[in-house]
Amino acid sequence: MEVLNGWWDDYFWGAIIIAEVFVASLFLMILFGLMGAGAKLSENRLAQRVASAYTVIFRGTPEILVILLLYYGSAITLTAIAQIFNPEIRFVDVPPFWAGTIAIALIVGSYATETFRGAFLGVNPGSIEAARALGMSPLQTFIYIRVPEMWRIALPPFGNHMLSLTKDTALISIIGLNETMFVAKQAITVTGKPFTMYIVVGVIYLGFSSIITLSVMGIEKFGNRTTVGAR
Amino acid sequence: MSFDFNLILQSLPEMLAGLGITVQLLLVSGFLGLLLAILLLLMRISGNLYLNSIAQVYIYVFRGTPILVQIFIIYYGLPQFEAIRESMFWHILREPTGCAILALTLNTGAYVSEILRGGVLSVDKGLLEAGSALGMSARQKFIYITTPLAARLSLPAYSNDVISLLKSTALASTITITDMTGIARTIVADTYAPYEVFISLAIVYIIFTFGLQKLFGVIERYLGRYTKREE
Repeated sequence: MEVLNGWWDDYFWGAIIIAEVFVASLFLMILFGLMGAGAKLSENRLAQRVASAYTVIFRGTPEILVILLLYYGSAITLTAIAQIFNPEIRFVDVPPFWAGTIAIALIVGSYATETFRGAFLGVNPGSIEAARALGMSPLQTFIYIRVPEMWRIALPPFGNHMLSLTKDTALISIIGLNETMFVAKQAITVTGKPFTMYIVVGVIYLGFSSIITLSVMGIEKFGNRTTVGAR
Repeated sequence: MSFDFNLILQSLPEMLAGLGITVQLLLVSGFLGLLLAILLLLMRISGNLYLNSIAQVYIYVFRGTPILVQIFIIYYGLPQFEAIRESMFWHILREPTGCAILALTLNTGAYVSEILRGGVLSVDKGLLEAGSALGMSARQKFIYITTPLAARLSLPAYSNDVISLLKSTALASTITITDMTGIARTIVADTYAPYEVFISLAIVYIIFTFGLQKLFGVIERYLGRYTKREE
């Protein structure tokens, strides 16, 4: 274990990066998922088509390919744009953090689209009718009836999406994000102990997964506290 | 910045040369992973506390860590130990392909066993009671009632897992394997044309995914040919 001395703080900062990617991509993932679900549920044919294309593309392409494409592609595009304004610029550097975060948010967002759509359609029609009978406006129905029922339906799959986001963070190390995989690689060149160093990475990810799983279980229990015959 | 169609025509055949390796990784680790999943499932439902806990810990660890970390631990990590380098497994673990297949098998086995367990648990209790009433032993009930029904019930979720396995094979490119993604990354490093190369490869993967979905749709219809059709 003494080979790890001197690397703990690097691993700690790597873990902080994982948490940062998680928070940023979670926010974007929810945004993409809601937009996708909204488009799929809308009456607009074009919006439906675009949303279907979005889910088919991002669910059928390997994650690593999306990350590489976004990273190298955006670098080229931004360089070309920058050269219009200033021909002196040779190359625009895209931060791997954002390229990777957006990439994994797009991927997991395509799964979240289906989750949110399913949750919207899974609301008991009787509840909606009851709301209408009580004279609630569509907005009131949405806030007081739909949302409380929807998030309970969406929570278990949503927990899995959060786990995917966390685990996909490891892939961003391929384009040079200095998270724990990256730390391990550096540590290995110095210490020559690849197994030990990558096991530490695994333990860190397992810790993150456990925190998410336990939180989701807790929230689920809270959400179902008043439902009859709770799961 | 321009989109070079000639480059696509040029690079597509090169990338498709890696299709064989992608398919090999998918089929071999898919098959071995299914065997592992069945073993883990039997351990979980065996009723033996120790076997059950071992399987549970295994599933927890392999589902809670990124597949990339697992690949790196096996490929870069295991040779740290003298005992592994001198063991009979060394000729498998020396080859990146062997390592990739091992990692993908161990990973997909954990996921698939949970899918199969879901299938086993959702078999109608009444049918098992009917089996008992007919004087079937526990083993007979498992073979003649649970297995065929659970196979059909877990098929939709299983098909999703095969598709994620296909996407995971792309990660083999990180340990020098020249599958489709590995070749694409080499081409991009030479030509610096990420859009042309990665997008055309993404289309290949999407077609592959689509084909797998169709195939599983056919199998599902075949297995469900005696069930009532939901119109």
